[in-house]
Formats: sequence, C-alpha cells, structure tokens
Amino acid sequence: MNEPAVVVEGVEKSFGEVRALRGVDFAAAQGEVLGILGPNGAGKTTTVNILSTLVTPDRGRAAVAGYDVVAEPAEVRRRIMLTGQFAALDDMLTGYENLVMFGRLLGLRKRTARARARELLVEFDLTGAADRRVGTYSGGMRRRIDIACGLVVRPEVVFLDEPTTGLDPRSRQGVWDLVGGFREHGITTLLTTQYLEEADALCDRIIVIDHGRVIAEGTADELKARTGGSYCEVVPLRLEDLPAIVTALGPLLPPESPAALAPDADRLAIPAPDGAKTLAEALRRLDAAGVELVDIALRRPSLDEVFLHLTGHPAEAFVDSEVPA
Amino acid sequence: MSARPALVAAGPHSGAWLTDLRAAPVRLWQWWVLTIRMLVPAIKTGEILTSVLAPAAFTASFYIPLKTVMSFSGLGFSSYAQFMMPLVVLQAAAFTAIGAALRSATDAVSGLDRRFAAMPVGRLVPFSARMAGNVVRLLIAQAAALTCGHVIGFRFAQDWAHTMGFVGLGLLIGVAFTLGADVIGTASKSPETTTQALLLPPLILGMLSTGIAPAAQFPDWVQPFVRNQPVSQFATALRALAGDSQGNAGVADWATMTPALLWIGAIVVLALPFAVRFAIRRS
Repeated sequence: MNEPAVVVEGVEKSFGEVRALRGVDFAAAQGEVLGILGPNGAGKTTTVNILSTLVTPDRGRAAVAGYDVVAEPAEVRRRIMLTGQFAALDDMLTGYENLVMFGRLLGLRKRTARARARELLVEFDLTGAADRRVGTYSGGMRRRIDIACGLVVRPEVVFLDEPTTGLDPRSRQGVWDLVGGFREHGITTLLTTQYLEEADALCDRIIVIDHGRVIAEGTADELKARTGGSYCEVVPLRLEDLPAIVTALGPLLPPESPAALAPDADRLAIPAPDGAKTLAEALRRLDAAGVELVDIALRRPSLDEVFLHLTGHPAEAFVDSEVPA
Repeated sequence: MSARPALVAAGPHSGAWLTDLRAAPVRLWQWWVLTIRMLVPAIKTGEILTSVLAPAAFTASFYIPLKTVMSFSGLGFSSYAQFMMPLVVLQAAAFTAIGAALRSATDAVSGLDRRFAAMPVGRLVPFSARMAGNVVRLLIAQAAALTCGHVIGFRFAQDWAHTMGFVGLGLLIGVAFTLGADVIGTASKSPETTTQALLLPPLILGMLSTGIAPAAQFPDWVQPFVRNQPVSQFATALRALAGDSQGNAGVADWATMTPALLWIGAIVVLALPFAVRFAIRRS
C-alpha cells in the first residue's frame, strides 16, 4: 500500500471551448503538504474539483487515498475534507448545530456527534459562539467553524482552497499550525493559496500550474534555484559611486549585461553562485576601491520572483477568481 | 499570554481536532438530519408561523372585500366562502413554493450543495430532504387554510372520500409547486431574484382564474385563458370535491379531475428530471 495519497496522471478537462486542463501529472505522498499555485484560470480549482469528485476528467486518471475518483467516488468522499474560500455552512443553524449535523451526515451516533461538536468548539475557540447562528459569525469565525465541520471525522486527504484569504493573523496562525498537525499525523494536504510566503512556509513541495499544465514542480528552494539562485545586492552610500562599483566588481558582474544600470537605480545586484564566497569577494573588492556602502547582502529570490519568472504574471495576478464548476 | 486562542495555544499537539472517528454514513440518518434542518430553525425563529399567517391574510384580504360583491352577482353557491375556498388552498401552496425556492437557492449559493456533493452524502438525499421539509410546511399551510375557510363559513358538503380527495389533491398540487420551485431556486442560485420573480405568477394566475369569480364575469377576450389556465382547473377540481349544499359545485368525475391531474403531471414531468440532474451531476 505504497501508492501516493494523491495521484494525477494525464488529466485533461475541457468546459466547452475552454481547455481547463491539458494533461496534468503530479502526485502527493501520504502526509505531504503540496502547494498548488498558478495564476487566475490556470486550472487549480478544476484540479481540486476533479480530486474531490465534483468534476469528472475527460481523460487521464486521478486517485485519492487509493481510490479512483471516477470509478469509486463514494470511497473518495469518505476520506476527504474540502474547505473553500467561502465557508459552506447552514447559516440558519448555530455553530454547534452545524457541527452536529455534519457529524450525523458522516454517520456518527447522536451522542457521539454531540460530544465531538463540543470538543471541536473548544479546540477552535468557538465555545462562546456555539449557540449563535452561523449567519452572525465574523469572517474568521466562519472559517474556523467551516474547517471544524470538515474535521468531525478523520480525513485522509485535505483540500484547503485559499484557507487563509482574508483572515486575521491570529486565525491564520491557527490554520498554519493545523496544517503542521496534518503533516505530523500522516494526513495529506493539498493547498491552494494566493500568499506565496504561505506556500513557502507550509508546503513540502509546490507545483505551479499555468494554462492547464504543470509547468514547474519541486520544493520552494528548488524553484528558487531554478530562477537563478541567490544574488548579492550592493547599495552604495552615494549614488555617484555606482560606476566605481561596476569597475571594482568587474568579473563578478553578469557577462550578458555588465553594468546595465537603470538610470534611477540606487543599487546593484550580481549573481552569487558561490553564495557567501561571492559576497566576501565583492566586499574585498569594494573595500579595496574605497566605496562606502549602506548595505551589502546575500539575497534569495522570493517566490513572487519565481512566479514572475515561470509564468510571466506578477504575483498580484494570483488572486483567485476561478469559478467553482 | 494565558489568553491566547485555544487553536493557537493548544496547537495541533493538543490533538483535539484529531480523531479516530471515520465516516460511516447512513442514508436514512442523512435524510432525517437534513429534513430536520429545514424545520427546526423555522420553528425556533417562529418563521414557520408565516405558513399559518399567509393563508389567514389571504383569506381576510379577499373574502372581506369580495364577499358582498360576489353575493350580488349570484354564484349559485351557498356562500362566497364555499366558492373561493380552493383559491385559499392554492395560495397556501404557492406561498409554500416560494419558500421552497428561497431555501433551495440559498443551499445552492451558499456552497452547501457543492459541499454535500464532495461528502459521502447520498446523491438525492439533500433534494429529497428539502422536499420532505416542504411537505411538512404544506401540511401546516393546508391546515391553516382549511381552518380559515371554516371560520368564514366553508364546509365540506360531501362524504369523507371526497373530503380526503380534496385534501389529497391540495397536497399533490402543493408538491408539484414546491418541486418546480425547488428546481428554479437551485438553477437560479439567487434567493432574492427567485422569490421576487415567483411572487408574480400566483398573483396573475390567481386573479385571472375561476377561483375568484366565474369565467363569465371576465371580459370576453380573456375568458379562454381564464377558463383553461391551471389554477382554474385546480379550483374547479377542488370545488367539485368539496361540494356545496346548493348542488352547483360540479361533479368530481374524471372529466373534472383529469385536467387538474394532467397539469400536476406536466409540472412533475418537467421539473423532476432537472431535480435529479442537479442532484447527481458531475460536470
């Protein structure tokens, strides 16, 4: 039983003329936190919808927890938790009643469902609001009760669709801790997010989807390395020293554009393939040239830069507005 | 920092979110829980009272002003109450249907339908639970309508079989209305628009029907519509089942019943495939 918790092989899906997925392949091991990132309309939501049995693929195979999403959807549904950006709850019921309802739907006996509801209300800090209608909850409370409803029974694979969008830092930290807990207990998590630092912090591995294909895959570090790795940033005290810096750094400058300075640049960046050694070498040369610096530091590309590099879209375009099918 | 929120302070290590409970769904429980969900909040908030008040308000606002007018024109009925009773029953059903559309649209737009579809919930369970809730509301509304009718002087004039037929046909019409409304709500995903749009048909079809006055009292050009539209056919059938002491209520034979039953059949045949399709669809 060593099949990955999530397997996607050659999955294609079109909606009329729109080819949402054009052959997607990836896998997630048990207990892994896999980030699914990509610009608007890239196919993230369609991928999650296929894995959660809401949409059937036109071609290819997808399996969750060892069960095929097309042939055995009922088995898949018993083992997943799906929580979206917009909490799907019965607004007319209280938080407690919603939890009991989900427990009963999932086959818990009345007594067990009630006990479980009380347990989750405590865990998610909602005891004070237990008897209020969910329709009156704040955004953060709604998200917490939504996630709690998904954890009434133990899932094997969790789909978190932008779980922290619009959340206050406290609630966001709660979600982050929870994802850590999933990993620790062997629950697989597929996470879509528009916060790249969140993907960086939480995900064991990231896949980038664009135009219905996986265009990059790896750990956050691997993706950053693909973008060109670390670089060394030099900020002089006086702007007029910039040409002198160019002369001093000489061979350390990128060969394709030695000293291609923007007119309004206040700093200079050089590739740092050898990391700290490059930094030390630059420092030595600048010291010898007598240039005074405000700052010199080794920097790694942010995931934002990685995405700009991979997809040609700036990170702001990652705000998800795909319509759930 | 003793006041840190539980989820953060306890962290995932407290493990309270973690459980060994696994999903072991039971269809019947699911249906029951989702049916109760349609009723309990309505009872707690008193919203269910609207099912009682609506027929009462309708009876008062039509009976009081029209009673004298209609008595002049000679209906051949023992009273105007006896004549208009079917319309009270039909309005009660229509009102229940508007509520049904509101609830199905809310389920669709809130994402609950989608969530249930990704859970081990029987495909048709949410829909059939909504319909079960609708039937309960129909029963309450019909009981209220009959009580109001009794107050203004309506009486069943035939044997118990005809009386049961009246109640049964009223319910059947209500089921057809709520079924159609449920489908419209699910398709529209807009509670506000749906309920507003659905206010109009009962008004127009109710006013221009033989439920309110005999067809001969309408202008010539509109009489063919008045005579044959479904609300008139329903009113005629119900009136025949209720009977009247003056003997002009018509006979509850197949000729009277068939048009009404065909209309019910048509609504069900049209709506049910959509209901099933919405419930089982995976795009």
